[in-house]
Amino acid sequence: MTNINLSFAALTAEDKSVTIGSQPSLVSALTGVQSTLSKKILITDDALFMRVILRNFLVSNGYEIVAEASNGREAVEKYASCKPDLVFMDITMPEMDGIAATRAIKQHDPAANVIMCTAMGQKNMVMEAIQAGAKDFIVKPFNQDRVLESIQKVIG
Amino acid sequence: MKAEYINPFVQASFSVLEMVLGNRPSQGALAVQPSTFASEQCNVVCGITGQVQGQVIYGMSLMTADKIASTMLGQSIKTFDALAASALGELGNMISGNAMQMLSELGWECDITPPTVMRGSNVKITTIAVPAIVIPLKLEQGDLFITVGLQGRK
Ligand SMILES: [Mg+2]
Repeated sequence: MTNINLSFAALTAEDKSVTIGSQPSLVSALTGVQSTLSKKILITDDALFMRVILRNFLVSNGYEIVAEASNGREAVEKYASCKPDLVFMDITMPEMDGIAATRAIKQHDPAANVIMCTAMGQKNMVMEAIQAGAKDFIVKPFNQDRVLESIQKVIG
Repeated sequence: MKAEYINPFVQASFSVLEMVLGNRPSQGALAVQPSTFASEQCNVVCGITGQVQGQVIYGMSLMTADKIASTMLGQSIKTFDALAASALGELGNMISGNAMQMLSELGWECDITPPTVMRGSNVKITTIAVPAIVIPLKLEQGDLFITVGLQGRK
């Protein structure tokens, strides 16, 4: 049974027009399978440039971008509505910075997975981020392998 | 302004520019910037707060701005739009942010504010910290002038 579901999931990933709607039980099974195949990520950065670069890179590596936020407040709102598996969080942003946003997200969902991705790498900033609940800390400009390693480490 | 504030920006600009633009800049002689000076055609302004505070201004010509944005985006840009502006802003943010790590290692804990990208010549800029120091850099994309105007918190 599992094998059948998996092959259907692979099919739908290739071709969204495959008709599966007539079997509700199969549909729900498929959605379950698909969500483990493609992890959902929320990108937070005030720089449009960085959001575009991160999106292209993550999508080309098989991840799904469920939302983008351009400041901490937006990130908190979008986390609640999109329930992503992972959040990429910048620190230096207008309105609400990434440390405050991480605290707010962790308060709402203690199991939230947040990776800090910021230009500042000083020790006290790393410590503040970890204390706020971030699970890893990447300094920009980032190395692509480092980003993939970090995702693996945090959400497998 | 203390000379020690400059070196973190020199080091950070070399490492960030080499990584982001793929070429190593060459550095001209440091110069003192008058407290009020005429801006370049395109400027990225980053605020520094904390134990050392002030502004760092990344100035360049429009042509250099276009070339830097094109390199960062991996394709030549047709118009200098929001995406191109944000690429330059993020470049200033990354150099400033990396410099914060080195300032911290020297004993000054600081934070940076989001960058502002300004285009337009004939703008007079006045820095709070006097005198500000200019780090002139030559890149394949053109000249980049980094004006560092910082002072210790009173
Ligand atoms: Mg930022």
